[in-house]
Amino acid sequence: MRYIPNTEKQKKDMLKSIGVSSFEKLIENVPEGVRLKGKLNIPEAISESELEEKIYHIAQKNKNFYSMKPLIGAGAYRHFIPAAEKSLLQREELWTCYTPYQPELSQGTLQSIFEYQSYLSRLTKMEIVIPSIYDGASATAEAALMSLRLTHKNKVIVSTLLHPHYRETVKTYLAPHEPEIIDLPYTEGLTDIERLKSLLDEGVAAVIIQNPNFFGGIEKLAEISELVHSKKCLLICVTAESMSLATLKAPGDIGADIAVGNAQSFGMDLNYGGPYNGFLAAKKQYIRQLPGRMAGETVDVDGKRAFVMTMRAREQDIRREKATSNICTNHNLNVTAANIFLSLMGTEGLYQTSLLNIKSAHYLENLLVKSRKFERVFDYPYYNEFLLKSKTDISILKNKLLKNDFIPPLEIHEFYQTDNLKNVLLFAVTEVLNRDDLDKAAKILSE
Amino acid sequence: MKLIFEKNIKDREGYSLSQDLFEEIKVEKCLPEYAIAKDKKNLVEVSEVDVIRHFTRLSKMNYGLDDGFYPLGSCTMKYNPRINEKLASLDNFIYAHPLAPEETVQGCLEIMYDLKNLLCEITGMDEFTMAPAAGAHGELTGNLLMRQYFLNHNEKRTKMLIPDSAHGTNPASAAMAAFKVTEVKSNERGTVDLKELAELMDEETVGLMLTNPNTVGIYDEGIEEIEKIIHGKGGLLYYDGANLNASLGIIRPGDAGFDLVHLNLHKTFSTPHGGGGPGSGVIGVKKNLIPFLPTPIVAFDADKKKYYLKDIGKNSIGMVRSFWSNFAVLLKTYAWILSMGPDGLYNVSETSIINANYLLANLKKYYKPAYNRYCGHECTVTGREYKKYGIKTLDISKRIMDYGMHPPTIYFPHFEPYAEETLMVEPTESESRETLDNFIEIMFKISEEAKNNPELLTSAPHNTPIRRTDDVLAVKKPILTYDDELKSKNN
Amino acid sequence: MSNKIMENLYYTKSDEWLKIEENIGTIGITDYAQDQLGDIVYLESIDKGKSIKKGETLTTIESVKAVSDMNSPVTGEIIEVNEKIEEDSSIINKDPYGEGWFAKIKITDQEEIKTLMNAQKYSEYRKE
Repeated sequence: MRYIPNTEKQKKDMLKSIGVSSFEKLIENVPEGVRLKGKLNIPEAISESELEEKIYHIAQKNKNFYSMKPLIGAGAYRHFIPAAEKSLLQREELWTCYTPYQPELSQGTLQSIFEYQSYLSRLTKMEIVIPSIYDGASATAEAALMSLRLTHKNKVIVSTLLHPHYRETVKTYLAPHEPEIIDLPYTEGLTDIERLKSLLDEGVAAVIIQNPNFFGGIEKLAEISELVHSKKCLLICVTAESMSLATLKAPGDIGADIAVGNAQSFGMDLNYGGPYNGFLAAKKQYIRQLPGRMAGETVDVDGKRAFVMTMRAREQDIRREKATSNICTNHNLNVTAANIFLSLMGTEGLYQTSLLNIKSAHYLENLLVKSRKFERVFDYPYYNEFLLKSKTDISILKNKLLKNDFIPPLEIHEFYQTDNLKNVLLFAVTEVLNRDDLDKAAKILSE
Repeated sequence: MKLIFEKNIKDREGYSLSQDLFEEIKVEKCLPEYAIAKDKKNLVEVSEVDVIRHFTRLSKMNYGLDDGFYPLGSCTMKYNPRINEKLASLDNFIYAHPLAPEETVQGCLEIMYDLKNLLCEITGMDEFTMAPAAGAHGELTGNLLMRQYFLNHNEKRTKMLIPDSAHGTNPASAAMAAFKVTEVKSNERGTVDLKELAELMDEETVGLMLTNPNTVGIYDEGIEEIEKIIHGKGGLLYYDGANLNASLGIIRPGDAGFDLVHLNLHKTFSTPHGGGGPGSGVIGVKKNLIPFLPTPIVAFDADKKKYYLKDIGKNSIGMVRSFWSNFAVLLKTYAWILSMGPDGLYNVSETSIINANYLLANLKKYYKPAYNRYCGHECTVTGREYKKYGIKTLDISKRIMDYGMHPPTIYFPHFEPYAEETLMVEPTESESRETLDNFIEIMFKISEEAKNNPELLTSAPHNTPIRRTDDVLAVKKPILTYDDELKSKNN
Repeated sequence: MSNKIMENLYYTKSDEWLKIEENIGTIGITDYAQDQLGDIVYLESIDKGKSIKKGETLTTIESVKAVSDMNSPVTGEIIEVNEKIEEDSSIINKDPYGEGWFAKIKITDQEEIKTLMNAQKYSEYRKE
């Protein structure tokens, strides 16, 4: 076996050196009664060339997705990824190494984490950053748990325009603590602030709002923040489309206590749902209640700048059942990817790309509304996703789009089963669709 | 080394934009004032060349698995096959949107479905959820499953038994499920004290989370008795798969009576560790736990010959993440199992166990073993003999770096009197005898240095990009972002 | 290893010490405890005026690589807190029996003191 260097002869010699007659002697304390009789019933090993052929063949059972332009987002966005990022990510030192427990051998990883923390701090305008929970949903759930610890309260208000998967995940994570979770309804495509007023009281730990929300709508966060803080509750802002951070008001600008998000848009492939990168940023005063790992700057014995994993006493390997979270392995390579991506894009590149997302989304929406085959469901400001009600049966439209190499938009009724959202599509437009693509999509959809 | 921010030159660019920026559309007309940030978010201005050089230099300050021996105990740092990386980068996978219509992603679903069945056979379980993103995420999912199981059976159980040798993630995960953790002591053989276990197990106890072989690398020979004690009182038996590398084709958790198991695909199943993930912590369960799995699971409709995502139903614990899985990690796992086959998997465990015992047999001349017995795929020795020279195990591990290797796991597990000042060494099947002999020789040299020239150890490492760090300063005066813009604004 | 033990103090198995002056007890952690923890970097603030039972957690002490609960050796009311150690926790490492004291407690149940160890017993308990 090419992955196992030791030969049968070497193994025999080693057994002799150990002082046993056979391998069996080494595992004699595995009771007979629970041993596997015979061998595993799985296919015999195949060669590398056979493997390659087999997987290529399975890959063909997917659509040829490279040439399929996505009109769907809903928490996973196709943005362009520069070749320089992919090339750097192939350096084995970055992807074959372990969690950086030994700073002397891990400055690359640690400095990269530190730089990414700095980027996220600048993008969210939050003081401290945990760069890697697993994904946006688990980061939101961790933030909700954190709010219970910080406030010693057990009630959470969750906007119904938080990504449905995130909402589900929050409920799953919180369930053992038997909290009261209140769904905050929406109106006109945005969280219903009047309802929030009536639901808020000082028994609420936190209010969780996504911006842009699941319908793409841009929430009136400043107003919400003021309201939430007037009742001494915490505000958790969620960003599922991180590209928006480059142009929209930052969570920190409007006084969010915790900001979480999905940074998949920063240089990560869609990969049929994962792995992505979830981050959690917060005000500095909450530093000892943060879940997960972070890097900090210090010096070595020679006074040289060095980076280490820090504030470790919160973590499971030290505090065990009293830890702030159980997180150990996270999504660090995605952190590295995002860090490289943001370094390449820089201030101007990310800003322009984010603007382009706004503009091209509005371009398509205008075309579709003008075609009179679609109508607006809500009159609301949106980022790069928007809802439109189709006058044609959307199953027909979806098939037409698939035939013409577009991944169709999300049928919103799958997630929101109300009458007003029947036959409604959630479109997403990113910079990977150019004017020709959008004209073509509009033509197909309005024929 | 300089931070990327310190390489900033105004107006430098590392990006390219398309020619058509939809100039005719004015953002101010699209969006109200409240939506838009006043200023651009300041990131950095560097060129593509700068970025390539910066990260190449950074990478050279890391020690990776391909650089040499990486014997971190309990981490299973094995070779990451290149073909798996190649296959996981195919366009049809990487551009697959998780909400694309099912008929367009049959390839992804087939891989998930096939892999699930392979894992069922390897572990002896009945069903798998692919959702958990890491080992600890799997543990959390498993604990929530157990909670849901007892809720569904109208039983209020809140106590979770966890051996003192367990990874910190076990008690932390149980606590997240609002269970009270009770520690079970290990005996002088390094395994669960059966008498104490029997005393602690009662009808308010959820069950036991067990790693087998455990974290000191020892197979628990009492497993049949443990199973009787836990199931005898109606509890559930959880298998922490962190150390499955010693069990492939030898013992299956399902056959040993475990009700649920998590696997660390980034350990046993060869997917890269990435400097701290992404991994995957898929959970396998027996039939009685299937109704509670996170929704959805992958299924196959034999009539329509179609793979699909199946809703688990009203008893599901719910979702534990967005979308379905860390698919890219699953794909690499699938490729690895197909490359190994049943004999290859057995060979993995056999070789790693021989490697660990070979190290133990040769290291014990210089470093006292924590337990005087054969080990599984990792061995635990101690540095306590060198305390009298003023040497801690930490010093030994730092000195190993000077010889161009990654040190083993130290100070874990830690429970007195057997396991203190520990070095836990895991030589996976990827390591050749020559590598092991080299390590043994270095460990011998270090033992001599400890006696004759302890200062060499206490001041080590000497040849690394940086030397020992001031961790106290890092906590007392935390610097967590570069030139904290917020601070300068506020001051 | 550092393991200095002072006469005239009472000790717990979890390595706290108690000094009695009439019905007021001063409490801290032993030299052994500070040595085991290593450089102490942080402790949770202690609430003055709070009532505490014997064995309850008074504060949590953090070093870089360890965390430990500091439990009250006796039942009573916390009447004074050493603010200096909250500002500079390294004092605890430097002078665990002196400047590094944690809090003063008005003892409500003198009987509890009998359950604690004296210096000689603690020294035997912590002998390697």
